[in-house]
Formats: sequence, structure tokens, C-alpha cells
Amino acid sequence: MTVRFEQSKPQFTGARVERAEDARLLTGRARYLDDLDFPGTLEVAFVRSTHAAAKLVSVHAEAASRMPGVRMVWTAADIHVTLDSPEFGVNQPVLAKDEVRYVGEPVVAIFADSRYAAEDAADTVEVTYADLPPVLHIREALQAETRRVHAERPNVMYHQEYQTDGFEEAFGNALHHLSATFTLHRQTAVPMETRGCMAAPDGATNRLHVYVSHQSPHGFRADLCKFLGVPEHAVRVIVPEVGGAFGIKAMFYPEYVVVALAALRLRRPVKWIADRSECLLADCHARDGIHDVDVAFDGDGRILALRDHLMGDSGAYPAVPFCGSIGETSLAARMLTGPYKIPHLSFTIDCTYSNKAPLGAYRGVWGPPASFVQEGVVDRVARALHKDPVAVRRINLLQPEDFPYRTASGFVYDPGSYAESLETALELVDYDGFRKRQREDRSRGVYRGIGISVFVEPTAMAASEAGDIPYEAATVRMEPTGTVTAALGLGPSGQGHETTMAQLIADELGVDVRDVVVLHGDTDSAPYGGGTGGSRSGTIGGGAALTAGRKLRDKLLALAAHLLEADVADIELKDGAAHVAGVPAQRLTVQQLATAAYTDVNRLPEGMKPGLEVMARYQPTRPITFSNGTHIAVVDVDVATGQIQTVDYVVANDCGVLINPTIVEGQIHGGVAQGIGEALLEELKYDTEGQLTTVSLSDYLLPTTHDIPNIRIRHLVTPSESKGGFKGMGEGSLIAAPAAVVAAVSDALEPFGVMVSSMPVTPDQVLEWIDADQEKKVDSVDSKVYFEN
Amino acid sequence: MGRLKPNSFAYYRPNSVASALQCLATQPDAKILAGGQSLVPAMNFRLSRPACLIDINGIEALAHVEVCADKVVLGALVHHQQIHEHPSIRQHFPVLAEAAGEIGHLAIRNRGTLGGSLVHADPASELPAAMVALRAVMEVAGVDGTRRIPAAEFFVGWMTTALDTGEMLVSVHVPLSSSSVYGFAEFARRPGDFAYVGAFVERAANESGAVTWFGVSDKPEYRPMSALPRDAAARQAEWQQLAAKLEVLDEPRMRRKLAVVLAERAYQKVEEAKIG
Ligand SMILES: Cc1cc2nc3c(=O)[nH]c(=O)nc-3n(C[C@H](O)[C@H](O)[C@H](O)COP(=O)(O)OP(=O)(O)OC[C@H]3O[C@@H](n4cnc5c(N)ncnc54)[C@H](O)[C@@H]3O)c2cc1C
Repeated sequence: MTVRFEQSKPQFTGARVERAEDARLLTGRARYLDDLDFPGTLEVAFVRSTHAAAKLVSVHAEAASRMPGVRMVWTAADIHVTLDSPEFGVNQPVLAKDEVRYVGEPVVAIFADSRYAAEDAADTVEVTYADLPPVLHIREALQAETRRVHAERPNVMYHQEYQTDGFEEAFGNALHHLSATFTLHRQTAVPMETRGCMAAPDGATNRLHVYVSHQSPHGFRADLCKFLGVPEHAVRVIVPEVGGAFGIKAMFYPEYVVVALAALRLRRPVKWIADRSECLLADCHARDGIHDVDVAFDGDGRILALRDHLMGDSGAYPAVPFCGSIGETSLAARMLTGPYKIPHLSFTIDCTYSNKAPLGAYRGVWGPPASFVQEGVVDRVARALHKDPVAVRRINLLQPEDFPYRTASGFVYDPGSYAESLETALELVDYDGFRKRQREDRSRGVYRGIGISVFVEPTAMAASEAGDIPYEAATVRMEPTGTVTAALGLGPSGQGHETTMAQLIADELGVDVRDVVVLHGDTDSAPYGGGTGGSRSGTIGGGAALTAGRKLRDKLLALAAHLLEADVADIELKDGAAHVAGVPAQRLTVQQLATAAYTDVNRLPEGMKPGLEVMARYQPTRPITFSNGTHIAVVDVDVATGQIQTVDYVVANDCGVLINPTIVEGQIHGGVAQGIGEALLEELKYDTEGQLTTVSLSDYLLPTTHDIPNIRIRHLVTPSESKGGFKGMGEGSLIAAPAAVVAAVSDALEPFGVMVSSMPVTPDQVLEWIDADQEKKVDSVDSKVYFEN
Repeated sequence: MGRLKPNSFAYYRPNSVASALQCLATQPDAKILAGGQSLVPAMNFRLSRPACLIDINGIEALAHVEVCADKVVLGALVHHQQIHEHPSIRQHFPVLAEAAGEIGHLAIRNRGTLGGSLVHADPASELPAAMVALRAVMEVAGVDGTRRIPAAEFFVGWMTTALDTGEMLVSVHVPLSSSSVYGFAEFARRPGDFAYVGAFVERAANESGAVTWFGVSDKPEYRPMSALPRDAAARQAEWQQLAAKLEVLDEPRMRRKLAVVLAERAYQKVEEAKIG
């Protein structure tokens, strides 16, 4: 609230406006789902499968029904809804029926007066399982003889192939080739606020009110209504404050159906909030992919052709509405050439079922794997040719004159600052100085490495995990007092949309940013929209805010011109008033204009309708706009313990016109933190029986403040064609960061012949590499770089 | 799995050791609650399901740090952060203060207690190993009176101590030794995590020494050394020989390797401490 009126007027857009959300978030006044409490609310505990793959022989829940405080117990016999994925022919019963397919799958739901009572009752449920051999690895699932996760369906649930014309020739004719396999382990988003849902029948309207921690209020309503078989006007979805979402809250889950149906059946509020174990077990997982890659390049390091067999583990069911493995692999495949001019691309995609939790969206989705492969390829080429990784990047990078650039997969990049971002980041990190110091460090036994990740982020896409809604909508209403209420269909989870959208609208209407309130997350107030995901809110939502703001501005100008008896072209709208240019005294405040518009309608010009309320939809002209940038990480590797510490980090970021640099930087900080987690710490581990062994945060390691260095950021601005010139940027930092960090590890351990090929890199792995090197294995265990002449 | 609320339990808050012991003797399936930093998570996961909790935080007599002529006596309720910050502990047992500062995060150290850590006896904990290294003596009380147990005999196995049913730990007696210098080092993935492996190294005035490892086996591992070599290569060989004989919990290669690395790093601290 420190932005002073004079200071940042007239331009809020682009200013470091303090976030409207922060006061409540930082003082504990925000109201999250679990803060909502209605009298008589029942709480739910789920009994979840403890077996990865088994027939359900029996489920005995009678004792649970008799426990104190228990109001109802449901098994698959009581609820027949399935989450259908018609395109795959696989349906997930919301409570497991006949067979369980992953540890953590809901089997029984217990509704009780408190979560304590519900969990006491859950303890008494007896489930008898008859184990089946679990399918746990992609390569295993690809074998035809492997048991099918779904008896009626092959384990390969998605297959796609693509090749540019002339690929084989270009590949075969190249001077050099190398191959590598890249592996990404499973992880999940772990938002600070876990998932949850509360449903309450509304006596007044006879509708069902559903409170849910989610990214797409309308998308959620559509899915819920579809699975419940109720019309959409009978359901109001309200998204309270969301404490992080990162894609996993764009998904639809079985628990939501159970909660909503129970509320309808019992005619009372029912609430379920995931605990941290449920978060790790039953939120959508991410990554878990393998890339078998072959590269062809010339003697200068120019990459001529790239081939990838992408394999993705879908988990037991295709997640609704976005199957993560397909999302990750199919977009990774198409984005694989990244910012480089690689003319030939060939890929094969296979996604397979497994007896693990379903794979859904997690920030960056396809991006972290694709960057890992793309940057890993460049670094391997550099190492193979004994060239500096920067030199090989410079040779391959897209240059300003290349835009618009059609990639080997057919995407058309709008202009960006690809080469410039690399040079900017190199300068920020003092690359040349680093290389000099590195030699000295090594001679002292200090292994410090530097890793570069140049990224491209397709943003504001017509389709993403937020659904297939290519537009966003905004209503903007000036109240009779001249203040403004806007509503959007977005689903923010901390990104600060209330601030950024208000900045845009305030500038259009010439009012103070504090006089604009932005509503979201309620299907009763928000116009139908796609919600938040795929880095679309700033660009598409911002475009909607601008379009609606402009429409209202035009009306205000016309009204002012009429009342001031001046030409519209001469009216200026700023500082909360309209005045005739050059005649400051001849003015009307927005409040006076609003009063006229609502209550003094006789004064309106002929043909003008009363009121100051508009609704507008905005769909960008391009199907995608591409952000870009470069991340550079510096890490220290302790070769005695294998410990890796990120010690420096720089980012050159280009997301077009910035609405609020502080918010952009916050997005980058968070993404880099998650990227360091992905590269070095986070891993969901299943054992050989398919048990998840990382079910608390003492085993699933998240990055802490100790793990994140100060991050130095420089902004570059290449405006997009979208309204306002914005590009999305919600994911780029997580797309780029893991690749930068593991590249730095490879660089640090270059004297040991190490080239990292799986994430996360763990201390024991580092020690293994060093041991292997000392045992005089020429190549590192993990990389198989070979030459052909 | 998927449980984060404890069972229901009875709760007592006695204000003397005698009444706590009384409670312990009469309440079936009772457990002492100190800082709750290990017990409460275990209860929330329903890994521990006591019928009764005896909260000893109101017993003031357990919260003291007393410096005597030949020892320092630490009450069972002394918090980790107090150990980390206490001037007398810093003066007499800098290695203990340093190790206590490596336990968890500040919020955990502010609540977690010495007694809780020692009785919980997690093999990856700093304080049990510190007490073994410093040759401390545990004072435990039961309804029939008190007895003293040397630290080396107190830790008997995986999260198991020599404490009998109905007994509680009341204090720890740490002998003052003017002649030994100690060093400490540990390895954890992130600061604040339980150590993967850690070591205390002691150099006595007569050139003998000892290493106490934690996080390698099911309990602290104390190894006296008649001579602690000054020569780096000889020392390395010594660590390796000792580490090779450890009965490690799991991941033997990594743990033994780190045991050697951390013993040496702890030794380097001894050298620094001597110079400083
Ligand atoms: C996130 C996190 C990180 C942690 N990291 C570390 C770490 O790095 N290193 C480390 O050592 N510890 C760590 N801990 C554990 C912490 O040190 C605990 O404080 C300690 O293990 C237990 O002490 P407490 O006082 O909390 O005991 P409680 O949890 O209250 O009790 C633990 C056990 O001891 C018994 N008990 C307690 N006091 C007495 C007594 N006087 N007599 C008899 N029995 C008693 C209880 O009945 C119970 O069985 C961590 C804990 C958390 C939550």
C-alpha cells in the first residue's frame, strides 16, 4: 500500500506496485479452505490402498460405521461414479472397485463429526488384498509380455511419431554423433496448502456450494457437474485463498466427487482436507520420464539433427482433465530444439500405465525435461569437441534476424531476445572471470561448476492444463461512487492477479490502483473463463482486463465529452477525473460521471445506455507467444561427501512488457527454488513392491532457504503481439532452472568425466561417479558419449 | 498411512518428579511428553499410540544447568537451543553447544529437550553421541529411587535405552575435563535435517584419542584410540580401519565412506580448536 498516487501515476502498468494481496497473506488474515467452517460440518477420512496392484478380496467397514461420531461410511458399493477418460477407454471408480492400481488410491470414505473420529474409524476398516505383480517401470511396461495395468487395455496408452523430411539423410551425413539417455524421477508440486474440498447444500437457493482449492473455477464446475450428472446452474464453485497450486490443483480428483455426493446425500456440509501424506501419495505426480537421445553434429558444434524416444509414465489412470505424461512428452517433443536452430527433428513418444499415482500437471510440465535434454545435448556436444559450452550455444542459437522462426516441429516463434539473453546472463555472472577462477579452484581441490540454460517458454496457449479455453473474460464495473469492481475467471494461487489486473484496469480508467478491486474464484461473480495454468493469466487475462477496461474507458470519455460539451478527442482521463485537454478547470470526477451514468440518466447523450459495466472476452491473435531467457547456475560440489550447494544464480528474462517487475521477479525466485529442488532434492521413491517410501517431508526433500542463493535478475523486453505486449512467464523459471543446475554439476565434475543424465543428482550418486572415475573407468557410469568419424 | 491425527489419550501435567513417576506407575500405557518434537509426530502418524501422556514441562526442577567443581549437570528439560547458547556450556563443552545447534531448526530446538533426545535415542541424533563422547552419566529416577548409568551403557540399540519401564531421565552429568579437546562434524542433505553420518573426535593430552560416530549403526559408536596419529595418511588409515569394522545400518559403502570423511573433518576442528 505504499504506492503513492502522485508517484506512480499515470502509469501503474510496469511499476513496482505493492501487491494488494500481501497485507492479508503476510499477517495471517487470508482465509484458506480449511479456515471455512460451517455449523454441522462433517469431515472425511479416506482409507487408501496400501497395495500397488491387487484384487480387492473384501472390504469390511461395518465396524467403522459403529464408531463414535461416524455418520456414514462409503465403499465402492455405495458410490458408482467413475472418472471417465473416454479417449483412453479407462475409467477410475472414485472409490476403488474390485482392484486397486496404486498405493494411495481411495478405497473407503468415512464421514464423521471430526477428522479425529473419522481417522479412528478408518483404523478399524479391514481390507483384504490379493496381490498382483505391480508394473513400476516404463521400460518394463513397454514389453508386450508385461502384465496389463488395465486388463482390457495395452500398457502403452499413447504413441506418436514425427520426423522432419530428410531427417535420416541429415543425421546419417553428419560428421559426429553421440547418444545419451536422460532420466527424470518422479516428483510432485507440494503446495504449502494441501488440496481439499468442501461441499455445502445451500438452503436458500437449493444449489450445492462447493469450496475447493483449485486453479480453474469454471473448469472444476464443468467436471464436477459432468461426473455428478447435475446441471451447472445448480452448482456454485467458490475458490477461497489458495496457498500454492502449481498445476496439481488444475486437476480433478476422485475425492471431490465423494465429498460433493456425500453433502447432497446427507444434506449437510462435508469437508475433506488432504494431509501431507495424502498430498504426496494422491496429488498428481509429475516427471517420471526417460529420453533416449541421438544427436548428429558437425565439427564446429553445429547440431544438425536430433532424435528422441520420449517415454512417459502415466501412472495408473490418465489424470482428468490433463494426462501429465502425454502433456509432458508431447510438448517436450515439439519444444525439444528450444532456442537452437536445429533443422531436423525426429521423435517417438510412448506413454505407459503403471501401478503408481496418476501423472498430472506440475509447473513447467514438459519444460524441465525438455530443457534438461536440450541443454544436456549442447553440453555433450561441447564436451565431445573440447569446446566451451558458450561457444557451442552461440553457434546454434537463434539470432534476431531469424524471427519469426519456424521450428523443426512446426511451431512459429515470435521475436525474442535469445542471443541477447545469453550474453546478458554471461555478463551478469562474469563468465570469463569464472572460468579463470575455476582453474585455480580446481588446483586447490575445490570443484565449482557453471551451468547454462537458455530457455523458450510457450505461453498463453490456446490449450493447456487449464483446459481448452483460448480466451479469458473480464467484467469491469464502475460503481456509482467511481470506484471499480472487476471480475475475472482466473484462479490465482499467489501470483498477485488482484494487483496486476487492477494495475491494467486503473490505467485504462485513469483511477488509482487502490480504487480497483479484482474478484475471482467464484462462478457466481466471475465470467466464464479458463482459469490459471500454462502461463496464460497475465497475457490472456491481462488482455481481457485491458479490453474490458478500454470499453469502459470509451464510454466514460463519450459521457464526459457530452457533459463537458467538448470533443471526445480532447478529453483526458487521469487522476480520477476527466477534463478537457489544456483546460484543467473544465473537469468532472469519475464519481460525477458515474453518478450521471447510474442515477442522472436524463443527462446521458442520446443512445447511451445507463450504467458503467462492461464484459469483454479476449483471445490473443497468435495461438502461442514465446517467452525466453537464460539462467546460469554456479554450484560447489564437495567431492568428499557428494554434497552440492548452489552458490550463485543469474537470470536474464524476457516476458515482453512487464506489468509489475516485482511480481515477475517473485515468479522467477519461486521457479528457481523449485528448479533447485527438482535438480538436487525432490524425488518420490517407489520401492520394488510399489510402496511409496517418501510420504512425509522428512523423506521428500524440498529446497529450503539454505538451498537457494541470492538470484540476480535482469529484464529484457521484446513485446508480443498480444494486447499490452505481454508474454506469459509463470513457468519459464522452473523450465530453465533444473537444467542449469545439473549442467553446473556436470561442469564442476568435468575432471571426473561426469555428465549428469538423471535428476535429481544425489550425494551418493556423486560419490559413485568419483569412485568409478578413480577406478579408472574411462567413461562415467552414466554417460555414453561416443564418436564416429 | 494417510493419518495425521493422533488417537485420543489421557493427559496429565504433574509438577514434580515424584508425581510424574507416580503417574507413570499407575497409568497403563503412559508416555512422558517433553518437547514433543519426536513423540507428537509419531502420534500423528499413529506410529505411537499411548493411552496417556504425562507432560513434564511443568516440572521446574528438570530445567536447570548447574556448574559444579568436576562436572556440569543438565536437567532433562533443558532445550536444545539453551544448550547451544548457554555460556557455561559454550565455555566448558564448546563441541556440545555446536552440535546442539545442528539439531533441526530453531523452532524445534526451542522445544526439543535433552531428555527427550536421549531417551528417544534416534541413532542419527547429535546429543546421544555427544554424551557418549563426553563420557556423561545419566541420572534416572524410578519409584524406588534413582540410579546412574554411563552414557556408553545407556544406549543399547535402535531407539532403545537402558531405561526401565516406570523410570524417567532426570539429568545428565557431564564431567569436566581440562585435558581433552573435541571436534565435531556431520553431514546432512539440508541444514536442519537429521545427520546422515556424524562424528565427534577427541584428542587427549597424552596423544590418545577417540572417535564417536552417529548415524552409522543403531546407536552411537565410541572407539578409543591409544594413539591418534598426527600424520594425515596414518590417521586416514586409522579411520578407515575403524570404519570398516562398523556394523552399519544400511548403505554401507556410503556410510563407511562418510564416517571416514567426517572423522577427519572433526579432527580438523580439534586442530583448529587447539590453535584457537
Ligand atoms: C523437523 C525435525 C527435525 C529434527 N532434526 C533433528 C536433528 O537434526 N537431530 C536430532 O537429534 N533431533 C532432531 N529432531 C528431534 C528433536 O531433537 C527432538 O526434540 C528430540 O528427538 C526429542 O526431544 P523432545 O523433548 O521433543 O521429546 P518428546 O518428543 O517429547 O519425547 C521423545 C521420547 O522421549 C520420551 N521422553 C522425553 N523426555 C523424557 C524423560 N525425561 N524421561 C523419560 N522419557 C522421556 C518420550 O516419552 C518419548 O518417547 C528433529 C525433529 C523434527 C520435528
